[in-house]
Amino acid sequence: MNLLREWYDAIKDAQSVEQIEEIRISVFGKKGVLAEQFAKMKTAPNEEKSKIAQELNTHKSALMNELTARKITLQTLELKEAMKAESIDVSLFSSKSEAGGLHPVMETMDRIVEYFSSMNFAVKTGGMVEDDFNNFEALNLPKYHPARDMQDTFYFKDEMLLRTHTSPVQIRTMMNTQPPIRMIAPGAVFRRDYDITHTPMFHQIEGLLVDDEGKVSFANLKFILEDFLKYMFGDVEVRFRPSFFPFTEPSAEVDISCVFCKGKGCRVCSKTGWLEVLGCGIVDPNVFEAVKYKNVSGYAFGLGVERFAMLIHQIGDLRSLFEGDIKLLEQFQ
Amino acid sequence: MIVTKSWLNEWIDLDGISTDYLAKTLNSIGLEVDRIQSYSVPNKIIFGRVLECEKHPEADKLNICQVDIGASTRQIVCGASNIRAGLDVVVATIGATMPDGTIIKPVKLRGVESDGMICSAKEIGLEDTQDGILELDSSIGEYTLGQEVSENSTLCDDLIEIELTANRGDCLSVRGIARDLSAAFDRPLKDKSVEENEDKRVGIGRILSLSHEPNLHVNLRYKAVDLKDLVLPCIVKLRLAQIEEKRETDIESVMLYATHSSGVILRAYNYSFFCEDNNTLAKAHLASDDNGYASIMAKEKASTVGIIQEDVSKVTYDEGTVLIEASYIPPDIISRKMQEVKMPSGPMYYRTSRGSEPELDQGLDFCLRLIDSNSNSSLYGGNIELGNDYEDTVISVSKKEIDKIIGADIDKVKITNILNNLGFSTTKSSSDKFVISVPRYRHDISHKQDIVEEIVRLVGIDNIPSKAFCFTEDNRLGDDYLTYKKRQSYRHKAAFSGFFESVHFVFDEKKVLQKYGFETLNEELELLNPIVNTLDTLRSTLLTGLLKAASHNSKNGYLSIKLFEIGSLFNSKREESLKMAMLFSGDRESQNLSNAGKPAKVDFGFFAQKLSDIIGDFKLREFETSHSLSHIYQCAEVMIDGKPVGELFRVHPTVEDDYDLDVTYMCELDFGKLPYGLKTATNTSKYQASFKDLSLIMPQDMSYEKVKTTIESANVNNLVRFYPVDRYSDESLGENMSLSIRFVLQSSEKTLEEEDITSSMDSILESLQSSLGIGLR
Repeated sequence: MNLLREWYDAIKDAQSVEQIEEIRISVFGKKGVLAEQFAKMKTAPNEEKSKIAQELNTHKSALMNELTARKITLQTLELKEAMKAESIDVSLFSSKSEAGGLHPVMETMDRIVEYFSSMNFAVKTGGMVEDDFNNFEALNLPKYHPARDMQDTFYFKDEMLLRTHTSPVQIRTMMNTQPPIRMIAPGAVFRRDYDITHTPMFHQIEGLLVDDEGKVSFANLKFILEDFLKYMFGDVEVRFRPSFFPFTEPSAEVDISCVFCKGKGCRVCSKTGWLEVLGCGIVDPNVFEAVKYKNVSGYAFGLGVERFAMLIHQIGDLRSLFEGDIKLLEQFQ
Repeated sequence: MIVTKSWLNEWIDLDGISTDYLAKTLNSIGLEVDRIQSYSVPNKIIFGRVLECEKHPEADKLNICQVDIGASTRQIVCGASNIRAGLDVVVATIGATMPDGTIIKPVKLRGVESDGMICSAKEIGLEDTQDGILELDSSIGEYTLGQEVSENSTLCDDLIEIELTANRGDCLSVRGIARDLSAAFDRPLKDKSVEENEDKRVGIGRILSLSHEPNLHVNLRYKAVDLKDLVLPCIVKLRLAQIEEKRETDIESVMLYATHSSGVILRAYNYSFFCEDNNTLAKAHLASDDNGYASIMAKEKASTVGIIQEDVSKVTYDEGTVLIEASYIPPDIISRKMQEVKMPSGPMYYRTSRGSEPELDQGLDFCLRLIDSNSNSSLYGGNIELGNDYEDTVISVSKKEIDKIIGADIDKVKITNILNNLGFSTTKSSSDKFVISVPRYRHDISHKQDIVEEIVRLVGIDNIPSKAFCFTEDNRLGDDYLTYKKRQSYRHKAAFSGFFESVHFVFDEKKVLQKYGFETLNEELELLNPIVNTLDTLRSTLLTGLLKAASHNSKNGYLSIKLFEIGSLFNSKREESLKMAMLFSGDRESQNLSNAGKPAKVDFGFFAQKLSDIIGDFKLREFETSHSLSHIYQCAEVMIDGKPVGELFRVHPTVEDDYDLDVTYMCELDFGKLPYGLKTATNTSKYQASFKDLSLIMPQDMSYEKVKTTIESANVNNLVRFYPVDRYSDESLGENMSLSIRFVLQSSEKTLEEEDITSSMDSILESLQSSLGIGLR
């Protein structure tokens, strides 16, 4: 049986799965050592046969165990080696997204529309080319009003114009439907102004709510705008300042505490600690008269989407928003 | 509108009110503070008096001055042209650090010692008066020689710039703003009236007569003065510099200063302009001109009321008789007129079109007092006046109406106080009803809501509690909302497919549109007043904007440019429609290890694949487009459900050159025709699918479309789909090419056997052979 002893050492010394396989054949194969020993057993005296057989079987299973264990060990080692050969420098692959991105102004518009549509405001749109009645006259901006200076409005040769705000959509909606109304009008608007802080086209969202007379108050307007601004800008202070718009009365401008300096005063807020973000007011009776509404009350508000986007994303240059500049856009992947 | 604290203080007592509190109050009553600027003068800059002033022996332009600075006298060399003995000046003494950082040290100028510097307003940190060294006088308040200038609150003032809304013409003067503050602070305006002793003066009636046409709604008031030795006080010069306005002559400067202070429109006229030859009686006539503007006429037009003064009637002399006119015309009359017949307007039109001050006497008195106390002029007594009766606007409103609009309970006494402080007179017709008469300077107030607005701004919006609105519910998800959601969904898909959303102006350049063969607006519908000639029309395509943006990015070093836009454009009839356009230029992806820094370029198939990621399945068919941006052999019409929705093409090589672009593909689709809605599922097979390739030999110029249609119309059993996978041609094939098509076969009833597959493939080959005459390789 010493003959079998050496195979224990051979298994222990085997360095590869291949060697183990060779050993398996040499020991357990048809012409292997074990087969040879079992064959020899036939020639042994009968009284010793069972003892030899027992001994051989013990070795057979012990060798098999040893062999299997060693094989697993070697397989694991070999797999490790193989994987080591596949090692890479992961830092080479720090990667950048290949995805595109949404335009910050459009994305901001989406967020604003999302708020108001969840408050059950309808979304209404209209054409960019408008007539004088819907853009001015019906909004209590008679022909001689100073805010209608030629410089501010793009006119066409046939006396049509490019809308200067999305309010014409509100007028058209009021002319086509009966109150109660709760709507926003998002879209592009046009003013004849082109410098660092003005572009001839920008985007607005205006809101309008109309219900029975005596039902809609300034306090209601305050409520929704405070809620909306906190949704957009997080934890900011909101301030209302009396102001003037021809289509609302009383009117107010709404400021939030500066998102850059937290109200301490910085370059963006001109040291005031406040940023102007909205205009609003109670709808002027002349507007209701123009659309032939009787015994109603309502509030309206309007905001510039670019201004919101620039504040939220801290974008410095307004004009860069209209250049399809990937340097800017890829920051919003 | 620019005011300063000391200027306001001339009209209302601001004692104990800090500039911050003043600004906060202005904001809360609706006068938006745009800018606050504090003027401060550094230490060691003091008041002095020039005792002697001699020419420097070595330098023409320099003077050697002996300056009394209180405790002692200093010798200072000064180069200003207006230096002279007797002048009170500002002296920067040794050791002073000037606002620009210079430190004053003793120096020798051409051999003469100079112990300090006599300064101009700009040099000490005040506004630039542009006339040499600052000449001080009593207009800046009391001062003593040697005193620090920083202690003088008139020089070291706080400037507040207010952004006025268009309705508040009454606040276009220092007095007007003081009037609003008087309501906010509950402090009265200072009484400026002075009892004048006019006994010894010659009456103005002796030198001027005024005639007028009826019904011109103009108020006029004239005074006259024999002007002599007018010297602008120091504070007037400084404040005109602060409001950034300048006039050619001193008398014009006085008019401007008095108008800015009082709000009354003032003009100075050349007296002799109104006199006929050798006559000493001036005759002014108020008449309507050819265009219907109220005008002051003599032998020719002197001025248009509220609009502009003609140069010929202006005062060009320092000594002589001057007529001073205060005028008022209701703002709606002139702005309405301006709408009818445009005419050039002068610097005061901004005020008059928004409503100038109708209380003419207080402006005129202020102006004449200013001339009287700063010159040796003699005034004429009395005045010549043209009045107009105005009916007061009366508004009645109940407390209940006020509360309903505001949404809060406002105290009755508070309402009365606010209105009275603002100059409205109120009576009560019943316990709940206010009858309010509106002062004339508040022409913007005409109905209930205006009154509520006044109450809101003085109560303070911050003091109104917010309340949620209770609404009758209704379905508000209309078509416009669905279009909006569709647009949003496409934008998201495009962004996730690697494209950046861009937004361009809906303006474009007509020349460029025409150059590339796009339609443009009919001439009679064209823009009347474009802002620049590169944006002189409305765009009829999104493509040119994307190309411009791509070019811009290419110059910025981007090698792979993917952009899209969904936006409005206009046809020649100016009808608006919504389109979606995409551009893909250069590399398919960024350079990296996986592509060994050499990513493949975009090609037709790759771009079509990208488009399909966004808009779903479509078919392409050959197409000849109407514009010249497209490559003539790589242009297709995009078909969805058998209907054309737009075009897809490679950009023409010369256009690529024009825009400095690498190989570029674009598409433009009619957004309204793109599908949006719910998808329906079909039953799918649970059995294994089989793949089979056929390599067909066919003429190179045969369109795949033909092959496709033939196979489709053969109605082959179990054929699920098929698609081209390889295309090959070489010399041995001559005019032919080899096209490999992969067929996917699957049955919903069983796993297909070999013979099923063979039979299907045979029927495909049969139909190709019989219809097109092509077959296997």
